[in-house]
Amino acid sequence: MHQKVIISSSQFAILVLLNTIGTTILIVPAGLASEAKQDAWIPAILGVGLGLVVISLYNSLGGMFPQMTLVEYCEKILGKWMGITVSIGFIFFSFIGATTLIWLIGNFLVTQIMPESPVITIHAFFVLIVIMGVRLGLEPIARSAEIFLPWVGIFFLLLVLLPISDSNLENIQPMFDSEVKPILRGALSFLSVATLPLIIFHMIVPNGQRSKDTNKAFYLGSLIGGVVLISITLLTLLVLGPGLTARNLYPSFALAKKVGIKGVVERIEVIMAILWFITIYYKTSIYCYASIKGLAQLLSLKDYRILSLPFGMILLAVSLIVYPDVVYEAEWDVKTWIPFTATFGIILPAFLYLVAVIKKRKKAKN
Amino acid sequence: MSLSGKFFKAKSQPSQGQQNQSNQTSQNQDNQQKDFLKESIQTNLDDNLTKLKNLLGNSSDVVSRTFILSGKRSIHLAVIYIDGLADSKSIQHFILESMMLKCEEKLQQSPRAEEFSIIKDFAITIGEIKTVNTWEDVSNSIMSGDSAVLIDGYAVAIITGTKGWQDRGVTEPTSQNIVRGPKDGFSETLRTNTALIRRRIRDVNLRVDSKNVGTVTKTDIAVMYIEGIADPEIVKEVHSRIDKINIDAILESGYIEELIQDETYTPFPTVYSTERPDVIIANILEGRVGIIVDGTPFALTVPAIFTEFFHASEDYYQRADFSTLVRILRLSSFLLTLLVPAAYIAVTTFHQEMLPTRLLISLAAAREGVPFPAIVEVLIMEITFEILREAGVRLPRAVGSAISIVGALVIGEAAVQAGLVSSAMVIVVSFTAITSFVIPSYNFTMAVRMLRFLYIGLAATFGLYGIILGLMALVLHMCSLRSFGVPYMESFGPFNKQDQKDSLFRLPMKKMLTRPKLIGTANNVRQTPVDQYEEKK
Repeated sequence: MHQKVIISSSQFAILVLLNTIGTTILIVPAGLASEAKQDAWIPAILGVGLGLVVISLYNSLGGMFPQMTLVEYCEKILGKWMGITVSIGFIFFSFIGATTLIWLIGNFLVTQIMPESPVITIHAFFVLIVIMGVRLGLEPIARSAEIFLPWVGIFFLLLVLLPISDSNLENIQPMFDSEVKPILRGALSFLSVATLPLIIFHMIVPNGQRSKDTNKAFYLGSLIGGVVLISITLLTLLVLGPGLTARNLYPSFALAKKVGIKGVVERIEVIMAILWFITIYYKTSIYCYASIKGLAQLLSLKDYRILSLPFGMILLAVSLIVYPDVVYEAEWDVKTWIPFTATFGIILPAFLYLVAVIKKRKKAKN
Repeated sequence: MSLSGKFFKAKSQPSQGQQNQSNQTSQNQDNQQKDFLKESIQTNLDDNLTKLKNLLGNSSDVVSRTFILSGKRSIHLAVIYIDGLADSKSIQHFILESMMLKCEEKLQQSPRAEEFSIIKDFAITIGEIKTVNTWEDVSNSIMSGDSAVLIDGYAVAIITGTKGWQDRGVTEPTSQNIVRGPKDGFSETLRTNTALIRRRIRDVNLRVDSKNVGTVTKTDIAVMYIEGIADPEIVKEVHSRIDKINIDAILESGYIEELIQDETYTPFPTVYSTERPDVIIANILEGRVGIIVDGTPFALTVPAIFTEFFHASEDYYQRADFSTLVRILRLSSFLLTLLVPAAYIAVTTFHQEMLPTRLLISLAAAREGVPFPAIVEVLIMEITFEILREAGVRLPRAVGSAISIVGALVIGEAAVQAGLVSSAMVIVVSFTAITSFVIPSYNFTMAVRMLRFLYIGLAATFGLYGIILGLMALVLHMCSLRSFGVPYMESFGPFNKQDQKDSLFRLPMKKMLTRPKLIGTANNVRQTPVDQYEEKK
């Protein structure tokens, strides 16, 4: 009784939501606060707005080839060799994305939670579970995301509601005091972490065909994720203040340390870290799925699973060396990551869209 | 293999050669027997009886009673049945007595051509009757408790339904107790079990498809479903999976369960089993397919999904709000059984900051004299408990109390006093022991019992990180399972709004309007809303 791989548009929305939140929730408040200080919530809102514009670009691009994955329509638009080159770029992009995420989770655990554990074991365990998910396929990943979503919601609400009494309005005053440039830069960095990597979702074709429903799901997932991120940014600012938020490596984890009910439960930030683990897990899985699936389609393999184990090993090795240290990572995130994602998240999709539209017009004329 | 090769092999390994030979001869015998079974019955009664005797090999429980009726000629007859399987009283009353006493007169009056139909239709006063003409049918019928009537001069046997062996009777089920609800349980007899179901579903569409599985045991299996409610695809799949089974023996429904389940390498059951008729009936009414196996009180239903194992039949007999509460309790017990020992290890070894300071101090004080790390402590206690539990199951009832005394006093009290384990650990282990009994389905508990050790290991190596990633792996695995095409985590993932009425929550009966979405696809509506009905009036 084998059934076709089907993920519903609501599952698609949930995956988009988890991907938007994953890692972003952990690192973005710091980046925003260092750019826009007490006004860091403004670029967050701006970023979400711009994100929706980017999503509309993705949707119109995907809508032209409703049954094809990213790799397939690249070849269709640009011809065989150009298409393959661009596809390899996308595969490389999502591979690098996956390695940086794994590095991030290793670094987070070693610096914040388990300082004595060897980082390679943490990486290896994470890669193992990710590859297990990828091997099981997209359907189990999507279904399990549905199961974990309420938990993410509960932990998020705890994270937001419990420290709210510690907030101090003075922390975000004076309002609207920043110049335009840092706000734009903040919005761009927000966009680069939260929205632009979502292009890899075009490796997934929900229900076998992109439709209005899936487009809506794309918007919805990204919008809800955006709201989550805005509220977290605002809250870290309110509770920790712009200075502390900017200096902290993981400001929302510092926020989680404030979560608790006095005298009953305190210092439960490790429980809060579940939120991070779950969202980062799904982000990594989708990155991995996208690159493995893309590679399999490039090589026209029937089943992508055969690539998953070797891919996992390479992933583990690269994840250990992708950043030499935290300083490098911080610098890379600002100077390289933004143009890197912008290339694959805006420039290439826009280029593909343009070429596709021109080609279509030509065809219509002929 | 050539003959010479065989010879040399036999020389070098005489024992194996002999074995081969004996295998071959027994195979020949098998084939001969198979050919014989296909043969038809002959007209000569004496021939037939000798052949049957050869076939059954002089077994002492085979009774063959020959007698003579005097009609227009003297008719030689034989009744063959197996003592203990057939009801000797009904044979005596409805075959022997009625033939010998009532039909001779009629036989004498009627023409000779009618004598067979007189014996069959007039003399034998038993409901279930049929004629067969091969040895295979005769032997199968005899083995299942019917009796065969052979008449000299006719190449057919009349099979009369005289099944009637000793039965345990319908008693209260022992594995799933409830406070409110029907107290009858299945027994070891297939017919009793199908009757228990039929008695409660008086619908013409209830189908009972019979099957015969096991080349040696020839176990009867009934596949039950309601046509028009059950998904025909699933019914077809059940049939084809059972038909594919080619095994010598089916001794319990567990055999069938393992042979038809979708995924073998998983700790979770993907087939539901119970000895309560009301549960099977409720499942059949939801569109599932029931499989009842002769010789065991445990019946199966498929497709089985995760939430089903947290439902007890009582949930539907008592208040909806309370049932919901109990279900949440069960699900949390499942998580607690799985995670409490692991969480204890993780918190005490990796994340001490999570504990309130005073609790941490008292925990540390309790652990002061313990020579082992927490993981060893947990393993000692958990394994001890598993041993106690297993011993308790297999124990003769008379010594049962000894185990509880030894368990409670020696292992619990004394181990703490001797400083082998801390008292906090005893609390953790006994707590998980109790929570593991809350899950209503016994075979689901087994999965949790096994997985608990995995999480203990993960917690000892990676702390809460290990537990969380382990949980993700578990949920992924469960999401990848299917039972007869239906996703195992159905109603949670894929999320299904309509089925939330009866998965974690149990809504009031008035709100339960439809059958489970992916299971009862053929006919989804259960009831028309009661309130609407009243309004119309």
